[in-house]
Amino acid sequence: MQVLMLGSIGLPVTSGVVLLAFSLSQRLKAAGRVERTEEEGKLQEGGAWLYAYVFIALICSVGFSMAAAWWGNGSVTVFQLLDTISIYFHVDETGRLFMTIISIIWPVVGIYSVPYMRREGGEKRYYAFFLLAYGMLTGFVYAGNLITMYLFYELITLVSMPLVLHNGTREAVRAGRKYLFYSLCGAYCGLFGIFFLYRYCGSMNFTPGGTLEYAMVSGHEDIVLLAVFVMLLGFGVKAGMLPLHAWLPTAHPVAPSPASAALSSVIVKAGVIAIIRVIFYVVGREFLQGTWVQYTWMTLALLTVFMGSMLAYREQGFKKRLAYSTVSQVSYILFGLSLMTSDALSGALLHVIAHGFIKCGLFLTAGVFLHYYGYGRVEQLRGIGKKMPLVLGCFTLFSLGLIGIPPTLGFLSKWYLAQGALQSQIPVFSWLGPMILLISAFLTAGYLLPVTINGFFPGEETSDLEHTGQKDKTDWGMGISLLLLAVFTLLPGIFPKPLLQFVSEAATIILK
Amino acid sequence: MSLGNLVGNYEEAVAMILFGIGFSNLLLQKNLIKKIIGLNIMDTATYLFLALKGYIEGRKAPVVVDGVQSVEAYVNPIPSGLVLTGIVVSVSVTALMLSLTIRLYRRYHTLDLDEISTQLKKEGK
Amino acid sequence: MNFVCNFPFISIIITLFSGPLCTILSGKWAKRVNEAVIVIVGILSACVLGYVGGTGEAFVYRMGHFPAPWGNEIRVGVLEAFMGFFFCVIMLLCMVAGAREREEEIEESKQNLYYVMVNLLLCSLLALIYTNDLFTAYVFVEINTISACGLIMIRQNGRTIEAATRYMIMSLLGSGLLLLGLCFLYDLTGHLLMSNIKEQVHILAQTGQYHIPLMVSVGLMSVGLAMKSALYPFHAWLPDAYGYSTLSSAAILSSLVSKGYIFLLIKIFYRVVGFEVLTGSKVANVLFVFGIIGMIMGSLNAMQEDQITRMIAYSSVAQIGYIYMGIGLATQEGMVASIYHVISHGATKSLLFVAASGLTAASAGGTRYRNLAGSGYRNKLAGIAFTVGSLSMVGMPMFSGFISKLFFAQAAVGHAHKMLPTFIALAISTILNAAYFMKMVISIYSPRYGGNEEEDASYAVQDGWNYGEVSHKEMRRNGGKVIFMKDQPVKAAALICFIVLNFILGLNSEPIIRMIQKGLAMFG
Repeated sequence: MQVLMLGSIGLPVTSGVVLLAFSLSQRLKAAGRVERTEEEGKLQEGGAWLYAYVFIALICSVGFSMAAAWWGNGSVTVFQLLDTISIYFHVDETGRLFMTIISIIWPVVGIYSVPYMRREGGEKRYYAFFLLAYGMLTGFVYAGNLITMYLFYELITLVSMPLVLHNGTREAVRAGRKYLFYSLCGAYCGLFGIFFLYRYCGSMNFTPGGTLEYAMVSGHEDIVLLAVFVMLLGFGVKAGMLPLHAWLPTAHPVAPSPASAALSSVIVKAGVIAIIRVIFYVVGREFLQGTWVQYTWMTLALLTVFMGSMLAYREQGFKKRLAYSTVSQVSYILFGLSLMTSDALSGALLHVIAHGFIKCGLFLTAGVFLHYYGYGRVEQLRGIGKKMPLVLGCFTLFSLGLIGIPPTLGFLSKWYLAQGALQSQIPVFSWLGPMILLISAFLTAGYLLPVTINGFFPGEETSDLEHTGQKDKTDWGMGISLLLLAVFTLLPGIFPKPLLQFVSEAATIILK
Repeated sequence: MSLGNLVGNYEEAVAMILFGIGFSNLLLQKNLIKKIIGLNIMDTATYLFLALKGYIEGRKAPVVVDGVQSVEAYVNPIPSGLVLTGIVVSVSVTALMLSLTIRLYRRYHTLDLDEISTQLKKEGK
Repeated sequence: MNFVCNFPFISIIITLFSGPLCTILSGKWAKRVNEAVIVIVGILSACVLGYVGGTGEAFVYRMGHFPAPWGNEIRVGVLEAFMGFFFCVIMLLCMVAGAREREEEIEESKQNLYYVMVNLLLCSLLALIYTNDLFTAYVFVEINTISACGLIMIRQNGRTIEAATRYMIMSLLGSGLLLLGLCFLYDLTGHLLMSNIKEQVHILAQTGQYHIPLMVSVGLMSVGLAMKSALYPFHAWLPDAYGYSTLSSAAILSSLVSKGYIFLLIKIFYRVVGFEVLTGSKVANVLFVFGIIGMIMGSLNAMQEDQITRMIAYSSVAQIGYIYMGIGLATQEGMVASIYHVISHGATKSLLFVAASGLTAASAGGTRYRNLAGSGYRNKLAGIAFTVGSLSMVGMPMFSGFISKLFFAQAAVGHAHKMLPTFIALAISTILNAAYFMKMVISIYSPRYGGNEEEDASYAVQDGWNYGEVSHKEMRRNGGKVIFMKDQPVKAAALICFIVLNFILGLNSEPIIRMIQKGLAMFG
């Protein structure tokens, strides 16, 4: 058990570090080759051994982490940082759920990256950080106490930053800096909250229901609430919650498409996990229910949902539009969490899954267009459906999923979210919430469906694309990954039983 | 009462005033030489204070003469020793400061520290 | 009395005499003597540490034949021995890492004089750590100042001389106040040995006699030492002194010299004034306030700074603010946190200076953001080391900076009035730290940008950016400057040692914390 757990974190990290070291030292070994064009230089860099190495490492890591997730409740203390603080890992329901999503998305993105990154260059560095990010995410999801979680939260930021500034263009560097700065600010808010809670909590270990000691807290409720709120804001940065969401639309579009897919679908969820851990596993639901923190949180989440959708609707850059959409959609999840009822929580967890697959797929399709045609703006995509019907078909499916049209997974999650809000009996929010969700769904339709419509039916207007009537072939790697994601969006929507059962069980445990 | 104390301990009061003068000179004067003078006033004031504290009315320096060995006859030698040590330190520090001043003067032909800073900024190095 | 008890005295004497010895040696031999002395002293300190750790109590070593109230004493506990050892390690690493720069930047005829100064500096640091006599401490404070001044101005240019002058002025103001405070205390108690003074102060505090003079004297000594260690408003000399002096000077000054004064201050608080008297006085509050202002203002200044060494120097101002904030909390935990931060900052700041010089060397001497772009690829080890140092400064878990932040925060939690200011200051300062250090880290790993695309391209060719497998030979031929580890094996080794040290402090801090606690207990 311990071996599995440590292996699932250690293996990707070690292989990533090895690859990174190799990519640095490779330059030394290559001395002697002089004449070479730029294009050749980029193409030569990859090679079968690289892909073999990366995928063997990735598949082994995924195997390890899945085995660790589903074979019993493992927990392992790695070492004591201080006497009272240990690096401790523990698998629970939340961890299992998130790890499974990550372990599906990561290989899919990996497959997609092969053709995409060959063009971008710097493959070794990319894959090194890609593997590292998987390891850090595993550590983060399996973290058993706040300090361990914080450690991996910071590490995720650090290893995902090079993915953002991969291109090394001025814009990318600036975006990377912005991403890092926002994330670190958020993390520090979280850290100082942790310092506070350290005093008021019985233990830092995650326990459903919370470990807050009410005897200690009495008399200091205000300051503890403030600390929790600061933590919410801090970890909310990663989830793109207002008021600190601005990094997201800057950082996601400039990253290479597979990286932005991973960022948008998974790494953003790190903020969600952190908030789940803090609210439900450390502070405890009872302490927060009915306080100003809960209401402010709800308000912020709903505002973000609405603002994100509006901004996405107005945005013309394709990837940037998707990034704004992420801002909005992740706040659906946060809204679900803030309601703190069983149904809403199930909805939130379902939406984690749905949004993970769908947003990944959307970014990957955006990447396909960028890769083959260099089209990054929405109006350029007119008529693209004639060229790539399959890709645009997948895109349409993802769009429907994100809007929440049955039988996709997105419908289920939104259904549960709305139901949870209505049941919660919180004044105003119980009807305001579903209404805003509905408005946002319309806006989602408004910013995603025109792409499909114009893509398949360009109409009379002239387009940049030449209408030769010929279909362009998509690389098999890209095609397969898109299809896989499409299947993952549809299948649980059609056969929702086992998933629903698992999620509602998880919600019950979390809410205990 | 406080005034009485002040007058009664006028030596200490003088020492403190001198210290203040020296300190503010060292801190506020722009001219390096004046700064060094301030430094010396400051140090000397401290030695004055120490010497005062070490002196007891009617006693002699702790050098045994005429075979008198009674403790009551002499003052404590340690404050004087401290003053001596302090003087050595302050001399060496003054020498160092003066040599630095000479260096700066040769380079920038001024003793004004702010002036030197502006010249340095102009050099842009 | 065990033979080991002689070691502190022997190490002070060795360093003291090796100083003048170096004046008659050539530069090369002086360097060897200096390194040998540091190694020997380090070993001796380690032996003392082992011995004191074994016996579990501090020992007093009498100098000369006079017993306690008259004679001069050395008093060594766990913390003193550890500090002595730690200072030797850092100093050795700094000296080794800066050897090449010294050869280039210091005139041939003055090489040996540098080692005179370094030996004297080490001597005075050791004396400050070990001595049990206040006046001896004062004398060695002055020796420390003079030798530090020598270290700053050994590289002769206008900036360093000006910085040295400013440093001297500030230091002299500080030592004037220290001396006056010391005279007051001597006047009040009639003793110069720390333990004797403490007994008397205790009696005075209990009876309430001479309350004001006592407080004045404590205040004078604290302010004096704070001025000498460049607490915020007295930091004007620091950026120039660190930014323009030769590498080993900057590293030693930032990581050791100011720390020696801080250690003396803590020692005065514990061993001379007594902790109870301190907590009852307002002096701690003053230090706390200035510490907090320093934390924020230092970071703000560092943010505006464009030049890497000056940026690191300003960050030192902020870090010294942290230390004084911890002292100002006036609790046992605060002191532990401060002392840990002294250690962690000592290890990190010297690492940063050494790494920064490596990066500068790989950028043809450019020290600004835009010159340094991409230098992390041209000098890989320095790049990694700088990243490690920055992460530690920023307070990333696993590095030493995180542990000290954790301890500061823990010390502050539960403090009725000082909790919130501490937290806010820590948060702001940490974020600012992150802003400028991470900006620099990103910058050293991103391509250089020129005015236009053509220039960008030529830079890209020089630096081998995004060209996958452009070899360093090619980069060199294209006009880039590349530094391999094997070009500078000694420096590389020093950097690796620094990195390892940082990880040890970050991952294995528990024994060190325990040692500090034990050492503070031995102080009493």
